[in-house]
Amino acid sequence: MNVLVCVKRVPLTGGKMVLTADERAIETRHLGFTISPHEECGVEEAVRIVEAGGGSVTVLTLGPPEAEEQLRDAMALGAERAVLLETDGSDWDPEATAAALVEAIRAEEAQPDLIVFGNESADSGGFQVGIRVAHALGRPIVTGVKALAVEDGALRAEQEVGSARDVYRVPLPAVVTVKEGINLPRYPSVPAKLRARRKPVERRTPAGAAPRLEMVRLVVPEGRGKQAEVLGEGPGAAPAVVELLQKLGIA
Amino acid sequence: MTALVFVEHVGGVVDELSLQALTFARGYDDDVEAVAFGGTPAVTGVGTLHVAEIDGYAPQAWARAIASLAPTTVVAAGTDRGNEVLAHAAAMTGGVFAANVVRADGDAVTRQRWGGSLLEEARLHGDVKLMTVAPHAVAIEEAAGEPAVQPFAPELEEADLVARVVERVDTSTGGLSLAEAPVVVSGGRGVGSAEGFASLEELAGMLGGVVGCSRAVTMAGWRPHTDQVGQTGTKISPDLYIPCGISGATQHMAGCKGAKKLLAINSDPEAPIMATADYAVIGDVLEIVPAITAELRRVRA
Amino acid sequence: MIASALALAAAVAVAGALFARRVLLLGRLVRMARPPGIDRTDDVPDRVRAEAVVVLGQRKLLQRLVPGLMHAFIFWAFIVLFPAIFIAMIEIVAPDSAPQWGWYDALSDAFCVLALIGVATAFYIRKVLRPRRFAGSHLGEADLILAWIAAIVTTLLLLHATDARVFAWAHVLLILGFLAYLPHSKHLHIATAAINVYFGRTRARGRLEPLRFDEDAPEEDLRFGIGSVKDLTWKQMMDAFSCTECGRCQDACPAYATGKVLSPKLVVMGVRDHLFAEGPKALAAGEEYDGPAVASHGQLEEMVWDCVTCGACVQACPVNIEQIDHIVDLRRHLVMVESRFPAEAEPMLRDVERQGNPWGKPQAERAGWAEGLDVRVLEPGDPVPEYLYWVGCAASYDERAREGARSTAKLLLAAGVDFAILGPLEACTGDPARRMGNEFVFQAYAEQNVETLNETGVTKIVASCPHCFNTLANEYPDFGGRYEVVHHTELLAELVRDGRLSPAKGEQEITYHDSCYLARHNDVRAEPRELAAAVGTPVEMDRREERTFCCGAGGAHMWMEENAGAINEERVREAAATGAGTLAVACPFCTVMLDDGVRSRGDDLRVVDLATLLAEATDT
Repeated sequence: MNVLVCVKRVPLTGGKMVLTADERAIETRHLGFTISPHEECGVEEAVRIVEAGGGSVTVLTLGPPEAEEQLRDAMALGAERAVLLETDGSDWDPEATAAALVEAIRAEEAQPDLIVFGNESADSGGFQVGIRVAHALGRPIVTGVKALAVEDGALRAEQEVGSARDVYRVPLPAVVTVKEGINLPRYPSVPAKLRARRKPVERRTPAGAAPRLEMVRLVVPEGRGKQAEVLGEGPGAAPAVVELLQKLGIA
Repeated sequence: MTALVFVEHVGGVVDELSLQALTFARGYDDDVEAVAFGGTPAVTGVGTLHVAEIDGYAPQAWARAIASLAPTTVVAAGTDRGNEVLAHAAAMTGGVFAANVVRADGDAVTRQRWGGSLLEEARLHGDVKLMTVAPHAVAIEEAAGEPAVQPFAPELEEADLVARVVERVDTSTGGLSLAEAPVVVSGGRGVGSAEGFASLEELAGMLGGVVGCSRAVTMAGWRPHTDQVGQTGTKISPDLYIPCGISGATQHMAGCKGAKKLLAINSDPEAPIMATADYAVIGDVLEIVPAITAELRRVRA
Repeated sequence: MIASALALAAAVAVAGALFARRVLLLGRLVRMARPPGIDRTDDVPDRVRAEAVVVLGQRKLLQRLVPGLMHAFIFWAFIVLFPAIFIAMIEIVAPDSAPQWGWYDALSDAFCVLALIGVATAFYIRKVLRPRRFAGSHLGEADLILAWIAAIVTTLLLLHATDARVFAWAHVLLILGFLAYLPHSKHLHIATAAINVYFGRTRARGRLEPLRFDEDAPEEDLRFGIGSVKDLTWKQMMDAFSCTECGRCQDACPAYATGKVLSPKLVVMGVRDHLFAEGPKALAAGEEYDGPAVASHGQLEEMVWDCVTCGACVQACPVNIEQIDHIVDLRRHLVMVESRFPAEAEPMLRDVERQGNPWGKPQAERAGWAEGLDVRVLEPGDPVPEYLYWVGCAASYDERAREGARSTAKLLLAAGVDFAILGPLEACTGDPARRMGNEFVFQAYAEQNVETLNETGVTKIVASCPHCFNTLANEYPDFGGRYEVVHHTELLAELVRDGRLSPAKGEQEITYHDSCYLARHNDVRAEPRELAAAVGTPVEMDRREERTFCCGAGGAHMWMEENAGAINEERVREAAATGAGTLAVACPFCTVMLDDGVRSRGDDLRVVDLATLLAEATDT
């Protein structure tokens, strides 16, 4: 079974957001990067499916040249090949991203049986790239998947709804978007990392498009401007806490 | 121009977040209509309520129904379903879709990035605009007026029904869910170990709430992912949120923005969470939480 | 006499053959072994000195006087009595030609008596006192050998007393039997201990052996720590051969002392037993060998995670076994190949790898601790300061450790020292990742930090964290980073001596806790004491200096749970018992661990860095 996973390189922000001078990006100097959390679980899920039933995993990303780092991380988890649609790192809107991914997928020699996305990327959180790609390819899509199983050429997928799960059964080829918590990604071994360094990364330059959801600028939401009211220090603050709880009608 | 609001409901009672979406829509456009599925909800303040005759949830079919109404503006709550259905509808109508909008005026929108820790001012280009409203970004304003109810059976393509819910499995272990609990007591790295959560569980129990945790705790294997509060975990909106030993990284705060009040317990007075917390106790979590439960017991005795 | 000569020759041949066969196996095992990651043939004068002091002088054994003398008597007797074997052989074959050196006989008798005293003492210790350090050791084997030694020296005494040939035969046969038995028992140490001591570390004791991750080398040639028996280095094999199961390391181990499974003695014995069980199979199978992991032997896999890398075991071992190398090498395979290690350490490893520090906080916020202080942050191209102050992750991100860094900075500023910090360019030295066993992540950061440091042109570094200090001073040279590194207490003590800082001596009683990575791994013991004496009245704990008791944070334990008693509380108990009101430390990890310990126990003890005490005493 051929599985293709789409991932995105996102920065690891800390306690506060700092923007670049032109207010069009986060200041990423001195920040580490990772595969967006939902997608990292997507790579792990794809690798598990292929380990159980045979096949191979390809990982695809649209991003700057540095996104190769995330592709190598995905290959260390078990993906066999990687494709980088290289951009200059600027913001691409969801429709342009989806179009570029669709073109890359259509160019694949072996069409993937299953395409995996994260439900939404940690940074831009558009909630639509996976769905747009599914429409363009004419495939069914299940989103927000927390449990996935391949049964006789079909998928059984569970979508979280409150404290219940909705079950879908769709035939392959299909698309899913997964959520973190579907699995706990493995800690890659060093031999796997060394092997990943030698695996091929294909590079292509996608044609962009004028954004229809056009980012004008980024804004850090205003804080309240004040720090918390300190009720006390140490266990001695317990009476003050209980007083607060009673005042809030909770205790 | 008309704004068409996709309204979610349970047994006829409109969902709180859909009421926020309706309020948003009324602020965006003078003429507001609604569309609902699986029954006729008690919506007020809209001209027409379209009720689609589709059994069960199939996101592409629901989107097809919306698209068949030929809307120019579609609004929904920024729930999982809202985002999913509108994304399908955008692909079908060729529209532009902005998720988790907090403000909009014409083609200028402000929407959330990073789960709400960052805002994006953007421009929507296109004849059809779709927007989901970020949860709790808009305060509900009820409006009076009974709508004209128009049931309809949309023409669906075969492909629209392939991805549909065939079964619902109840996974709750009884008791409150994290998303619905009125009080949540969360632990982070500062709790030190899986066993350290015992005192948090006691406190949560005494306050009628549940225990949550940060992503670091889940990755350390101390608690399951279902307990995780955060951008990629569960988003909560309790009356009171008590994060213990959690420094307040943006991805965690994105999960608890909906909390009405926040009491932080942390040994670091300069932790980022202090800028968001309403109240704080400084010190060792493992000393303070048991002291609070002891005091509660004393006061209740 | 021909019959005697033939009989003797036959006995020698048999014993020699048994001995040789075993020794050949040992030799083949050693030839199969991997080379160690550091040069163990340099510093010849220091190695020779170690032989003189540790082997001949029995210095490490004499750390415990009575057992030390007990062994010394027996050991020196072996040396003195060596020629007596040959004299006895001549007595058998050609009694008339046997040398008659009365002085030598008298000397031998004296040492025989000392040996008997030694044996008697040994039996007294083993049978009457029964110290805990023997838990897990093979006592029966020791009893046998002690009895055998007693018999050997007794036959010599009797030979000298009676001149009867039967005692000459008895003496020689007992010795030949001993020779045959020797390489099959822990008494192999008689031959290997001297070799092991020679090849031990002579300097940079805190430096772990690097691994090589050559990308071009085929995977089978790479070594990721100890997987199967084929991954052992010859030094690790020597360690295994030399272990006498004395248990001094077990006694010194803080993990064992607090009820955990780990015993350094049992680790080395486990490696040894696995080596003898699997080694011959590996020799037979050659390239095809696919045997079990060494860590699967007994409880080894469980034990290695309890280790805090404090080095008390290495310090205690009379034959210079380096237990930490075994433990870290076992961890390396478990972490880097099997991905099987305590789950709570995974976030720490991921954070070091992806964010550059084990706290998982952004590097951009690294200089936050210095807010309000006039501390220079070095940018590329800036003039080179006299000192680069390496702050470390703990002081950068932990609110209790922060104070020590602020005090250090204030003192350096007050004394007019020309220094700067790297701020966001300072990434984790990689110590927690390395001690955890992830050598790969460590090396990535070592290379990155060395590049950063070399680009700035700094030559002198002052570090306030002993782990950073140890890695920068002892481990970074392996990656092209050679700097003059001092610990902040060393620099501050120098400033006080030079009068650039003038503390007012107060009344407070201060007990100073020696950090393992300072006092044991790096011999920094005097300067912190100078500072304590300059600001108050020092009160010493019993376990101090190179015998210090760990705070419990080393070996990546700052991020791992303890599954039995608490090492930090045990140390706080000792500190509180001195009656001092102040527990002075020189390490951010010790600060946090001991403060936690004080809170758990409720002692009236203030845990504070020496820099802060000095800042208070100089009103800085």
